[in-house]
Amino acid sequence: MQLKQLFKMVLINIYTNKIRTFLTTLGVIVGTATIFLVVAIGKGGEAQVNQQYSRLNVGTIMVMPAMRGKVISPLSKSDAELFQESPYISVAFPILSGRGDISYNSISCTGSFSAIEPEFQEVNHFTLKEGSFLSAEDESNQNKYVILGAEIAETLKDGDPSVNLIGETITVSSRRFKVIGILDLLGDSGPGLSYDESVFVPYTVGQKYLLGSKANPTIVAQAADIESVQNAIADITSILDENHRIGGAEQFRVRDAGSRLAAAQESARTMSLLLLAVAIVVLIVSGIGIMNVMFVSVKERTKEIGTLKAIGAKKKEILTQFLSEAVVISLVGGIIGVIIGGATLPILSYFSLPALPSLSGVLLGLLFSAITGIFFGFYPALKAASLNPIEALRYE
Amino acid sequence: MKCIIEAKNLIKLYQSGSEELRALDNVSLQVRENDYLAILGPSGSGKSTLMNILGCLDIPTSGEYFLDEENILESSEDKLAELRNKKIGFVFQKFNLLPRLTALQNVMLPLLYRGMDEKQAEQRATEKLDILGLKNRLSHRPNELSGGQQQRVAIARAIIGNPPLILADEPTGNLDSKSSLDVINIFAELNTQGNTIVVITHDVEVAEKMEKVVYIKDGRLSKTS
Repeated sequence: MQLKQLFKMVLINIYTNKIRTFLTTLGVIVGTATIFLVVAIGKGGEAQVNQQYSRLNVGTIMVMPAMRGKVISPLSKSDAELFQESPYISVAFPILSGRGDISYNSISCTGSFSAIEPEFQEVNHFTLKEGSFLSAEDESNQNKYVILGAEIAETLKDGDPSVNLIGETITVSSRRFKVIGILDLLGDSGPGLSYDESVFVPYTVGQKYLLGSKANPTIVAQAADIESVQNAIADITSILDENHRIGGAEQFRVRDAGSRLAAAQESARTMSLLLLAVAIVVLIVSGIGIMNVMFVSVKERTKEIGTLKAIGAKKKEILTQFLSEAVVISLVGGIIGVIIGGATLPILSYFSLPALPSLSGVLLGLLFSAITGIFFGFYPALKAASLNPIEALRYE
Repeated sequence: MKCIIEAKNLIKLYQSGSEELRALDNVSLQVRENDYLAILGPSGSGKSTLMNILGCLDIPTSGEYFLDEENILESSEDKLAELRNKKIGFVFQKFNLLPRLTALQNVMLPLLYRGMDEKQAEQRATEKLDILGLKNRLSHRPNELSGGQQQRVAIARAIIGNPPLILADEPTGNLDSKSSLDVINIFAELNTQGNTIVVITHDVEVAEKMEKVVYIKDGRLSKTS
């Protein structure tokens, strides 16, 4: 029998059992939609992580006070200077951070402030919307200047775009600072930390007026290149051990941005794999459903199969017919699943779950649904094809 | 004249528990071209077994069987399927039409299994159904047809591929007397056109209308008339 005609028979048989076919496909629909969404969420998550960390310099190493325990001898600017002597480190500088009220005229909000050295702006790829960066002279002259993150600036403008903040005086924790620059919108910089909602002042100025000399600074060190990161960390650890004999290096955490990025990517990938595993389980269960229905179908049509064999259907043709039925059922489910998956995307974005639809998601979904049909349709089809024609004809 | 069926010393044994059942006991039969033959026997006589073997649905335990000069005992499963398709037109007691296909599609099936093009098959099936008086029933499904009409569709399916042998198993068993007569008349007409027809039945009245009758009892054939 020509394939075209065989396929026509398959469609006639499926069409006659519309409701049963639909119920059978439900599992496949769910499974395929899940696979499609998993790929979309995976891609979306990956894109989000990449975007989130796009400003992050992978050679950046952060030295911070440990989460637990008390810092007996805090980090200082001299540590940064020692780090910088390592051949693996191109630049190192301390920063101090805190939170406080930031106000301009009658508008006031709570935000973060950081006391930074000028290099900080470079390492973090800051770009200016207007005004200028903090300079080395501001640092040495202890100018009470401030640059603003984009969102803080918007807040202080109170929605009035005509307000020009450059040259104006704002207060940070009741201290007065002159605005010299406003940054472009940077996006998220990492969990729990947004430069857009921060203001930046020269390091010594911040230490003196905002945080006090007892504050615990963090040191940002920049490895010479990516290959130097591990050596740089080793140097930092030994310098800390030597320089902070009381307490030692254990009172600090050393984190490099590259491994943070890798960890974030890794966790996104793990999430995808987990969801994919769920999707595959759903498809296996739905495949068992298909197998059941195909067995029922073969049983119901035993006499028909006998008749087909009597009028000349070969074993292979019966096998192909029943296998095609299973595959068509699962593929129809797959197509519906992909469509439903696509229709679900807006709901995901409503809950601000990052998801990117992709051709590979569609193909993977359809491929898995077809494999489900072939795998679970094969045994019932083989059973149909192997029926003894006499017994099949006699079956009532 | 050419021999369509040439069966010699057919024996078919069944194992029923520890007992051995001899369904066919040394059956020899010759059917020549254009014969019109009834195989008459009560139920349990072995006539179904004989019909299965003659119809290439089953293989005898021993003996020889040539169908239109093809040796059946040496044929593979696929070859048997091909022989059934090309050499035999089956007519069953319960019509055995595919319920989801239309009358036309049912009749086309044997041609499609030969690999014939759909258009051509459709044309030939339409002609056959027309001859059998079912021109207005082409797109009806079996459950929309009467028993007599269904059996005529089945006969159309049996003769569509011009097989050398038409093999009918109790073709009137599920029909009222008028439809039965119809079917017998169709067979007679087909026979005059040169078709070879073998009817297996337990109904003496039906058998009497054929040219020749052989009797089967306890797995043995006996010839008369």
